[in-house]
This record gives sequence, structure tokens and C-alpha cells, in this order.
Amino acid sequence: MKNYSQISGEISEFSEQPFWKNVDGVDLAYVGYGLLIVTLVVGSYILGLFHLLPRDPQDIDLGLMMAPPGTTGHLFGTDFMGRDMLSRLIVGIQAYFLPGLLAIFIALFFGTVLGVLAGYRGRKFDTGILYFTNLVDSFPRLVLILLVIAAFKPDIYYIMLVVGLTNVPVVTSLIKGKIQFLKQKNFIEADIALGVPTRTIILKHILWHNCRSLLIIQATLGMAEAILMETSLSYLGFGVQEPTPSWGNMVQSGSNYFMQGKFWPSTAPALAILFTILGFHLLGDGLNNILEGKRNA
Amino acid sequence: MKSSAIRPIALVLSRELMITGLLLLGVSFVVFIILFASPGDPFSVLLEGQLSTGEVRAGVREAMGVPRSWTKQYLSWLGGMLTGNFGTSIRMGLPVLPEVLRVGLNTLILTIGSLIITLLIAVPIALYSAVHGTDKISWPLTMFSYVISALPVFWLGYIVIYFFTHKLGLFPLAFGFSSAGQKYRWLYQFLPIFVLGVGNGTISEVIRFLRQEMGRVMAEDYIRTARAKGASVWRHSFKEGLLIPVTEIVASKIPFILGGAVIVEQVFNWPGMGRMAWQAAQDRDYPVIMGIAILAAVLVRMGSLFQRVVYVLVNPRASKE
Repeated sequence: MKNYSQISGEISEFSEQPFWKNVDGVDLAYVGYGLLIVTLVVGSYILGLFHLLPRDPQDIDLGLMMAPPGTTGHLFGTDFMGRDMLSRLIVGIQAYFLPGLLAIFIALFFGTVLGVLAGYRGRKFDTGILYFTNLVDSFPRLVLILLVIAAFKPDIYYIMLVVGLTNVPVVTSLIKGKIQFLKQKNFIEADIALGVPTRTIILKHILWHNCRSLLIIQATLGMAEAILMETSLSYLGFGVQEPTPSWGNMVQSGSNYFMQGKFWPSTAPALAILFTILGFHLLGDGLNNILEGKRNA
Repeated sequence: MKSSAIRPIALVLSRELMITGLLLLGVSFVVFIILFASPGDPFSVLLEGQLSTGEVRAGVREAMGVPRSWTKQYLSWLGGMLTGNFGTSIRMGLPVLPEVLRVGLNTLILTIGSLIITLLIAVPIALYSAVHGTDKISWPLTMFSYVISALPVFWLGYIVIYFFTHKLGLFPLAFGFSSAGQKYRWLYQFLPIFVLGVGNGTISEVIRFLRQEMGRVMAEDYIRTARAKGASVWRHSFKEGLLIPVTEIVASKIPFILGGAVIVEQVFNWPGMGRMAWQAAQDRDYPVIMGIAILAAVLVRMGSLFQRVVYVLVNPRASKE
């Protein structure tokens, strides 16, 4: 069994077959759901950006507080001040979208640079970079963020800077591992023998052709991380402040009514968090299984 | 323990302790740099509303015996920490270290307890799907683990609190650590542990990692040999397929769980390090949050030290790397 799968694995690695030929249906479902969520998030972000909302998110209607979903005029119901839930959920995306992209960019950029240095340049940098990644990994992320908040100010861009930097070690070790794997193949040696400039080898042959999918996967997982951090921090009261909606502070402010049995004001944003993070996780893992061939069932 | 096993462990332990020391030195430096780079120092709080010219500031610094250059500041702070002096909390006016250690114990209980819960859920699912592959039972379980991992932990906390206070009426409405009824006190303390264990967001990752490692070991030749000669497959696969992966993933997930503890302690009013860190961040109480960051890093490092020791115990060759 093992030998057969090993051989077939090697063949498929070098075959010209496009990757979608032998894709698992489950992975396809994961990716499909993930892409749906990404589309919804990006679409809602753009809607929120141009204020194309069903209602004004700040419009208080004390006659219609905590309406259940499906109430006429309020598709997702209203919160504890009668504000339209759907509009607030859409606007809440503003709180994490751009900062999340910043965190992803930082993680991918510095992770790639360090990974290439450690993997391609080898020994000289390896120890130093290993020390750096271990150092970053020593801090619980939320504690580090609280430290930065205490030192500077509770600004989402500072927070996402920390989120990005603490994600650097993961990207670094993945890129490093990939390059060490690629080095066993002959094409890099051939490149060097042919006199291909190092820049072309690293940027084109290694990063573009072989690490592209890895970076995309890390980007989707990074977005899930960013959403989790933003919602956690605005739940803790360090992010976006009321009345500006963010999913985290919506859960928090709605929680006062939770104990009275009025679940909806905090449940709606909590479900939004749940489905969105689930989407990014499934997208990342599905892509990982499809593009990197890591189905391990 | 066999005597031949002691030497490699001593070797690894001394080396790892050195690395841990170096890393903690780096941690203290990072913490110091963050606060050093921050706008406004404790002196600007002291001098608030006064004419704070450069001369006045320098005078105050001089009077309080604070060294001028940053290297000297760092060294004196580091020296203080090594002798157990983490400074004095601005808000509470108490020495930081005893306060943080006092609540740190609660956090330790919470973290270790929730790690056990996480493993109790993850290990059976991982083992089942490693052995049986994807089937009617393991597929829904995997899906369930994904959903659980995406669940916001604070909301899960509310559901659990609501269920136990309102539906079952086991606890008084006013939430506070000491106000719980004596009879269900243990349950009241167990709930946050349970919530953090389920909702720390690592379950699906833990399952994936364990399943992959177990699957890899199951495909090894020595397992086939064991199976062929009728020996216990479980006994041969346990160390490499379960023990090592579990310690590895636990060590690498401690930071996440400590982070989750900040939120769970907030939801449940659990008097731990996370709540103290939250309060300190609100009050900009630097000394407290510095102490907590460093102690948290110590915890994380201890976790990976433990992992290395287990690894070498199982695989003594690794000590020669």
C-alpha cells in the first residue's frame, strides 16, 4: 500500500496533469464555502464603504428594540436600541478588513524574506532567524497586544502590526521548509550552473512557481486570525468603540441583554464571526489539500 | 529510569535551559524596547500639569535615581527582575511580582485544565480518523471540530453561563468568584475551564496534526512488522504516534490558550493573570503588564522545555543533534 502510494505520489508531482483532475469533493466543498464567505465579506466591505446600506446603522428606533430576524424592514432584526442589525453587521466589517490586510501583508512579506534568507542562504542566517522566531513565539499574542496597548494607544493598526509580526514565524518556517525541499531537486543547481541571476531564481523559480499557493493559504488563515483578534479586542473594549459597530463590540454590548433571555443582539454578530472565521479556515485548509496535496485521511 | 537515559537528558536539559535563558533575555529586551519607544513615560504622568521643561524632567529623574541612558535603565530593570523586584504597580501600589504570582496560579489551573479538556476531545477524534480514514463517523466529527474552533469563545461563555444560571438555576445571578453557592462551587470553577478548553480555537488544528502524525506512524514499516508478528500495534505506535505529537502541539499552543484565558477570565470574572493584564492595559499600568508578559513568556518557554525533555526521553539519539 505504502509503496504504491509513494510511487504514485512521485509521479503526480512531476506530471503535467492540472491539479483539479484529482480533487477531493470535500475539499471542493470547503473551498466553495470559503469563497462564498470571501465574496460576501469583500462585497459587504465595498457596500459599507459607499454607504449602500439597507438602513442607517445609527438610526435608533426605540419602538422596535431587539426585533427577531425577519421583521419587516429589518431582515436580520434589530439590536437593543432598535438599530438595524444587517446594516451594523455590514459596517462592522470596516473594523477589521483593511487592518487585517495590513497584518497579512506584514506576515507574508517579512516571513518570506526571513524564510528565503534561512532556507536559501542557510547556516549563516539560520541560527539568528531561529532565535527571532522562537522569541516571537514566546509571547502569548493577546498579552503582547495588551502590552502594546498600554504602552501606546488602543489603535487597531498598532494591534494588527503585532498580529502580523506574530504571524511571521509560521510563514518563515513554511517558506524555509519548502526551499530546503526544493533544494534537493536539481533545478536550482541547474539554474546556478546556467548562470541564472539569484534574483530570478528566488523570485521567479522559487517564490512564484513553488511558494505561491503556500502564501495564498497563509493569507486566508491570516485573515481568520485578524478577525479573531479584532473581535476579541473590541469585545474587551480596546478596539472600535460604540456607537461605531464592530462585531466584537456588538457581541459585548448585546451581552447585557443575553442574561435576560434576549439572545439576538449578541448572537447575530457572534454567528457572523463564527461563519466568517469558519469560511477562512475551510478555504485555507481546502486550498492546502488541493494545491499542496496534503490530504491526510 | 535507566541510568543510560540520564546523561542525554542532563545534556539536553542544560542546553535547553541555556537557550531558554537567552530567549527570556530577549523577551525582557523586547518588553523594555516597547515601553521605551512609547510616547510619554511614567514621569510625564508624575509631572502632569506642571511646567515640564527638559530641565525639570532631568531633575526629577536625578532625584528618583533613574539612570539617564537607556542601556543603564535596561540593566537596572533587568537586575531588579533577577532579584525578584518587578517594580510597583501604579494602580494598586503593591509590588508586582507577588500580585502576579498570586493570580498566576489561577491562570495556571485554568490553562492546564482547559488543555486537558482540549486533548480529551481531540485525541479520540484524531485517533479514530487516523485509523478509519474519512467515514460516516469521522467526517461529522471533523466538521464539528471546525465549527467549534471558529466559535467566538466569549459568546460560548455567555451561553454556558445562561444555561447554568437561568435554565438550571445552579448559581446566583450576581457573578463573582466567591458568590457561587457552596454546593456547586466545583462546577462553577469547572465551567471556565470547560469553555476555554472547547472554545480556544485550536481543536481543529490539534486534531489535524495528531491525525497526520498518527497516520504517518501507522504507515511505517515497523508497525507493519508488529502487526505481522501479532504484537500490539498500539504499544508500538504510542510513543511516536501520540506522545510526541501531543507534547509538541501542546507546547506550541500554550500561547494561544494563555491568550484565550484573557477573554475567558473576563467573561467569568476569573481572578487570573489575563484579567489583571486587561485591567493593567486599561489603566496603562506598565509594571504590571510587563511582569505579566514576562511571566507568560516563562510559562511558554517551560512548555517547550518540557516538550524537548519528553522528546529526548523517547528518542535519546536526538540529544546528539
